[in-house]
Amino acid sequence: MTSTRETAFTVNGRAVRLDLDPRESLLDVLRERLALTGTKKGCDHGQCGACTVHLDGRRIVSCLTPAVQVDGRRVTTIEGVAEPGGDLHPLQRAFVDHDALQCGYCTPGQVMSGLGCIAEGHAGDDDEIREYMSGNLCRCGAYPGIVAAVRQAATGERDG
Amino acid sequence: MTRPRLPRVGAREKVTGAAKYGADHAPDGVAYAMPVVATVGKGRITDLDVRAATAVPGVLLVLSHLDDLGITPAGYIMAGGYAFQSLQPMLDDRVAYRGQPVALVVADTLVAATEAAGLVRVTYDTEPFAVEVGAAGTETVLQEEALPLPFLADVVVGDAEAAYAASPVRVDQSYRSGPQHQVPMELIGGVVEWQGDTVVVHEGTQSVGALRGGLAGQLGIDRERVEVISPYVGGAFGQKNSLQPHLGPLAVAARRIGRPVKLVLPRAHTFHAASFRPVARHRIRLGADRAGRLLAAIHEVDQQASRQDLLPATYTEITSRLYAIPDFRGRQRHVRTDTQTPGYMRAPFEHSAAFALESAIDELCHVIGRDPVALRLDNDAATDPVTGKPFSSRHLGECLRLGAELFGWADRTPEPGSMRDEDGALIGWGVAVGAYPSLTVPTQARLRAYADGRLVAEVGGHEMGQGITTALTCALTEDLGIVPEAVTVVVGDTRAVPHHLTAGAWGTNSTLRAAHEALRELRAALGLAPEGPVDLAAAVTASGRDPVEVEVVTQGPGQPPEMIDRMRAGLVALAGPDYPGYVSFSFVAHFAEVRIEPVVHRVRVPRVVSVADCGRVASPVTAEAQVRGSVVWGIGAALREHSEVDPRYGGFLNTDLAEYVIPVNADIGRIDVAFVDRPDHVLNPMGAKSLGEVALVGMAAAVANAVHHATGRRVRHLPIMIEDVM
Repeated sequence: MTSTRETAFTVNGRAVRLDLDPRESLLDVLRERLALTGTKKGCDHGQCGACTVHLDGRRIVSCLTPAVQVDGRRVTTIEGVAEPGGDLHPLQRAFVDHDALQCGYCTPGQVMSGLGCIAEGHAGDDDEIREYMSGNLCRCGAYPGIVAAVRQAATGERDG
Repeated sequence: MTRPRLPRVGAREKVTGAAKYGADHAPDGVAYAMPVVATVGKGRITDLDVRAATAVPGVLLVLSHLDDLGITPAGYIMAGGYAFQSLQPMLDDRVAYRGQPVALVVADTLVAATEAAGLVRVTYDTEPFAVEVGAAGTETVLQEEALPLPFLADVVVGDAEAAYAASPVRVDQSYRSGPQHQVPMELIGGVVEWQGDTVVVHEGTQSVGALRGGLAGQLGIDRERVEVISPYVGGAFGQKNSLQPHLGPLAVAARRIGRPVKLVLPRAHTFHAASFRPVARHRIRLGADRAGRLLAAIHEVDQQASRQDLLPATYTEITSRLYAIPDFRGRQRHVRTDTQTPGYMRAPFEHSAAFALESAIDELCHVIGRDPVALRLDNDAATDPVTGKPFSSRHLGECLRLGAELFGWADRTPEPGSMRDEDGALIGWGVAVGAYPSLTVPTQARLRAYADGRLVAEVGGHEMGQGITTALTCALTEDLGIVPEAVTVVVGDTRAVPHHLTAGAWGTNSTLRAAHEALRELRAALGLAPEGPVDLAAAVTASGRDPVEVEVVTQGPGQPPEMIDRMRAGLVALAGPDYPGYVSFSFVAHFAEVRIEPVVHRVRVPRVVSVADCGRVASPVTAEAQVRGSVVWGIGAALREHSEVDPRYGGFLNTDLAEYVIPVNADIGRIDVAFVDRPDHVLNPMGAKSLGEVALVGMAAAVANAVHHATGRRVRHLPIMIEDVM
C-alpha cells in the first residue's frame, strides 16, 4: 500500500481535506470521493477533455492531474459555474440557446474549456474558437453549436 | 405545418453537470472493478495466477474461469439472444481474440483494483489466428446459405449480368471501408447493486430490456428481479445496443462481496469489449447508356465476421433502390476472422454501401461527362425498383434540387482540378445521396394526466442524445395544446414500461406512434374530442380520477403479435414491419466542398450542405443536430477514422482517442442543414419517417467525390489519407 498524503484544497469555494493515495487522479477524487460527478471520464489519458476543470482559474484535464498536486489550490468544477441561486452562467445559457450538445457527456468539459478559452482571450473569431476548443472531443458532432455558444458568451450577444 | 423550435429537453441538466449517467451513481460502500484482458490473438489459458493480485491491500475478489461464475451465455442478439456476441468470456479457458476479458478484479478502491489487475499473471498456449479480411485462415461463407432468412436473401431483379454485358458504358470498381469503432464519449460500464433479491443496474444502454432479459437469463432469475436504469446515455451509436459481457460477472461479484460494484472500462478496453463496424469490401459494376441512364448494377460485398457469429448484412437493400435500375443483382458474403463479433455502428451497412455505389456513380458521370446532380435526377425512381410498389414518400429529387441551390452547385466547373482558391489550394465539390429504411418496432407507452395539469409519459425508448425526449415532448404538447413544462417524459427505465431496443433510427417513428395512440386513448378516457387543444387540468378534475392513466402497445403494420412478447422479453423484434402495398425509406443529399492545401496537401472540408427527406420533422432543433452530427461523422469516416489491426499479435492497435482519430472542432467548418419537411401520412399518422441513420448515408462519398473533383484522384478506400492526394 502506498502511503497516503493529507491534501487540502478548495472545490467550488468549499474547503476539502482528504487523505489521498498519490496515484489518485483529481478526476477520480472529484467523482468518487466528493460526489462531483458532473466532471466526466472519457479517456483517462488527457485525450478527450471531458474531465476539464479549472485549477486556480486555468483549464486543466483532471484525469492527468494527481490529486495530491492540488494541495493548497483552488479547483472549480461544472457544479460551481452556475449562480448560487441556480441561474445559468451566460456560457451555459449559450450552450442551451445554440443546442451545443446532444448526449451531454462531453458538455461539462466543453463548458469549462469554453470559459477558459474566453478568459485566455482565444475567442476572437470562429476559427480561433475552433482551434482553442479542439482539446475537447464531441462524438455527437455538436461542434458548430459549441463555436456559436462560445462566441455568444464571449461577445455578450444573445442571438439564439 | 412546421413545428415550433422546442429547445432540447434535458439541456439544462447537461450544461450544469446535474444529468446522472450510469457511472455517476455512487451508492454507499461501492467497490470498484477492473478487468484483465487477453494479450494473445487466440489460444488457451494454461495458468492464471492471482496470488500477487489478491495480496494487494483492499482487493476483495478476483474472478476468472477458474471460479464457477454460475452464469450462462446470454446468446447473440441477432440469433434470439441478448448480447452483442454469443461468446461469454470467463466461462472457460478459451481465448478467441486479443482483448477478451479473462479475469475481473474487485477492490475497495479504483487504484487497488487497477494495481491488482496489472498483477494477474496469465500464461497461454497460443494458436494461429487471422484478423485481416483476406488473410490466410479466414473463412468465407455466402449469406444466403449461412443465414437462410427471406429478408437476408440476395436482392435479384431481372438479369443484371446480361444487362451489364449489353450496356454501352460500364464501370467496374472495388471499394473498401472499415474497421471503425463507435467510441461514444461515455465509457462502457456502470454500477450493479443487489437490493435483496433484486439486482439494480445503472448503465448507459440503448436497450434496458436486453440488459434485463439477458442478465436475468445469465443469473437464472426472473426478469422482474432485474431493474435497469438508464435515463441518460453518453452516446451509443450502436455500441450499447445489447448486453455486454462485463455485466454478468459484475453482478456475480456484487453478490459475492455483498456490496455494489462500479465498473468503468478503460478506453483501450472498449475497442475489444464491444462491437465495431466491420471491414466491408465492395465490387460495384454499373451499366449505363451513353446519356447516363442506368441499365444494370451488380453489387457484391464481403463483410468481416467473427468466428462465433455472423452479423446479418443488408448492404444491397439501399443500393438496389437509390436509382431506377431495372436489372440488379446483389451478393453478400461473410469473412470469418478472430475478433469479437462486429456489429452495428451508425448506418451500419448503408454508410459503406453508399460510399461504394455513390463513388461508382461519380465515376460514371466522369466517364460520360455528365453532371453528377443531373445524372442522379435523371435516374430517380418513381416506384420501388425491387418490388414495383410505391414508396410511402420519396423526395430525393427535391433533396438534390434544394441542396444544389443552397450550395451554389451551378457555379461548379466540371473538370477535376479546375477550381482553385486564391492561395493555390485545390477546391473540389462533390455530391452523393443516401437512403435508409423506415423501421418500426413494438413500443409500449403509458400516459398519466394529473389534476394539476401535469402529464407524465413513460415510453419504451432510450435517450442517447438523439433527442427522443424532445421529439416526444413536441408531439405531446402539440397534440394537447399544453406547455412543455407540464410534460415529463420517462425513457430508459425498466421500472416504467417494457422497452424495445432503440436503434436503426426507429426510435422516433416508433415512440411517436405509441404516443399518438396513447393520446387518443387519453382523450377518450377524459371524454375529450379526438383532436384540438384541451384544458388538461379541468378535464382530469372533471373525471373524478387523479391521475387518469392509459397504456398502449403499438407496432408496425404487418408485424406479428408475438413481436410484442419479444419486446417485453427484451429481445429484438426481427419480423416486420411488412408495409401494406408500399415500401418506406428516408432520403438525403449531401454536398461537400473540400480544400486541398498547397504544399502539405491537407484535406479540409470548409462547408457542407445536407438536405434530408425524413417526412415531417418531429423536432426541428434536435433533427438539425442529428444531421449536423452525421455530417461530422461523415467527415470523420472520409478523412480520419480507421481501426488498425495487428496481424502479428491480434486485436486492434490504435485503441485510444489520440490514435483512433475522430474529428475535432477545428476539423469542422460550416454545415447547412435543410429538410424537405413534407409529412408522410402513408407511413404513420404523425407523418414522420426516420432521420438519425440516413443523415450519415452518402456523406463520406460526397467528400470522396469532392476529393476527385479537386485532384483527379479517385480514392476507393476510407479513410482518404494525405498520401492519397499527394
